[in-house]
Amino acid sequence: MGDPHINRCLDGGMSILLGSVDAKGRPSCCRGIALTSGDACASVTVYVSMAVSQETIANIATTRRMAVVASHPIDHCSIQLKGTARTARLAREDEQPLVRSRLEQFGAILDTIGIPRSLTSCIAYWPAFAIDLDVDEIYEQTPGPRAGTRLR
Amino acid sequence: MSTPLRLSSLSRCFQGVVPSVIATSDVQGIPNVAYLSQVYFVDERHVALSRQFFNKTQRNLDENPFACVEILDPLTFEAYRLRLKFLRSEKSGPLFDTMAMRIDAIASHTGMTGIFRLIAADIFEVQSLEKVDGFLTASPADGSAQGPSLDGLRSEVRGLQWVSDRINRAQDLESLLNAVLEALDEYFKFSHTIVLVHDESSDRLVTMASRGYGRSGVGAEVPIGQGLIGTVARERRPLLLTTLEGDLRYGRAIRREAATLSAELGTGAEIPLPGLPDAQSVLAIPLAIGNRLVGVLAAEDRDPMRFGEWHEAYLEIIGNQIALGIDRMLDLPADDAPEPAAVLRAPAAPPVPVPVTKRKTLTYYRNDDAVFVDGEYLIRNVPARILWKLLGESQRTGRTEFSNREVRLDAALGLPPVKDNFESRLILLRHRLRDKCPEVQIIPTGRGRFALRTGATIEMIER
Repeated sequence: MGDPHINRCLDGGMSILLGSVDAKGRPSCCRGIALTSGDACASVTVYVSMAVSQETIANIATTRRMAVVASHPIDHCSIQLKGTARTARLAREDEQPLVRSRLEQFGAILDTIGIPRSLTSCIAYWPAFAIDLDVDEIYEQTPGPRAGTRLR
Repeated sequence: MSTPLRLSSLSRCFQGVVPSVIATSDVQGIPNVAYLSQVYFVDERHVALSRQFFNKTQRNLDENPFACVEILDPLTFEAYRLRLKFLRSEKSGPLFDTMAMRIDAIASHTGMTGIFRLIAADIFEVQSLEKVDGFLTASPADGSAQGPSLDGLRSEVRGLQWVSDRINRAQDLESLLNAVLEALDEYFKFSHTIVLVHDESSDRLVTMASRGYGRSGVGAEVPIGQGLIGTVARERRPLLLTTLEGDLRYGRAIRREAATLSAELGTGAEIPLPGLPDAQSVLAIPLAIGNRLVGVLAAEDRDPMRFGEWHEAYLEIIGNQIALGIDRMLDLPADDAPEPAAVLRAPAAPPVPVPVTKRKTLTYYRNDDAVFVDGEYLIRNVPARILWKLLGESQRTGRTEFSNREVRLDAALGLPPVKDNFESRLILLRHRLRDKCPEVQIIPTGRGRFALRTGATIEMIER
């Protein structure tokens, strides 16, 4: 249940971005692989390759603040989730198929717009961290005059 | 010891093929992350970002000037992270103009002029640059080869020499344009090209030659300031778009959002791009002498990485030569002097054998200033008047031979006293007749002279 526009961020094929900040207010970003939620985005789990996310993990261990954008590569429909990281843990083996599947779906969509699978299949996805995030706010992020409007 | 990374070595990352990512933070330490359509290389220590809306990223930067940007190489997919400090916003100047033109062109093409526009060019100091190790599990391709090799340079110089020679030898506008497009295809593998000439009387660009398309498109018009090519003409600046489809999707996303928000926006219909329906990259160069617009040369390709900055610089040199060549053609006196040997002239099409019993009805609609053939649109404005004059003269006197000079002196045609583009109008008329009424032909017979050939009984009606 819930807002279909918001729930679309949980679909396969979305592009996932993570933003975090250190104790001195210096921001950092990295690209995520998958986003899931069992409660209509009241909380989410973000999966991110361990290789590229060490700074992000260090930041949320310090400040716990995080921003996550889910964006569709074709129509740019996007939302931004802001919240507080509850835990950051190593993703379990039983979560690997989901993470791999999401990367494959993302690669399939990019392939349709000219970015070949030979590139996206090289993106590292495992081992991964799973970051559990309590979502405080959700914003419209689709480019245009409504970007930044609070949705929840 | 590894060589420190240099921003200038990452030029592919700045072409906007793969969107970049920016993270900022407000003073409370709440991060924000967003996509960037393009990061602009300024120099080794600075980059610029386009400000199109006053959004959360900009509000954060006003409070906390630090940002983190991740860029991707579209060929190798290697990721790079830049630590930035916001310095200032520029709302005018060369950098602003360059960034604004790209956005204006996309906005015009998607019917978003005035809504999707550059507010400012935000300049950042690059405090550090690092490769994101581990982003890829393997290297998908060796993308190190970039720019011209020495062999390539030799080939390009030969190409420039060839183009220059052809322009110099061309005796008429049509052979000049065809030779240039042929050279671009042969030496630079620019397989889809188009040349449009500026018609000052209508302030439009008119397609005069093309190569690599199913239909020539000769006669297709582009208003100055509209679409990608019209924007290049208005701004008198080159435009290189390497992610055309992505940029258009982005523009359409904004239009969709804007339309949802307000039904009164009045966004215009999207202008179809002349040429490839699935073009991924476009390079358009204004042809100008001083600040006077002569036309536009455009090339497009299905490969998003087909054109680089080096091509842009090179094509500008060729564009200057073409502009001078076109201008020379438009200034040529319509004399009857014998032409020198070894000149290039557009080959005259052999007369089409048509049974003389065939009948064609040509109608001139005075209010529309247009000629129709058997009820189908043929041509309008000055070329229509030229055709009507030639056919009328031929029917009254039996003449079939004409000179440019005598025709252009006819005040009824409404040609401007200088730079009348007579030859380009004649080319346009010749092509339209070839496509729509091959029973009537205009055939060059010598320098400044041509013949009217008819292979049918022509009925002229004026309304």
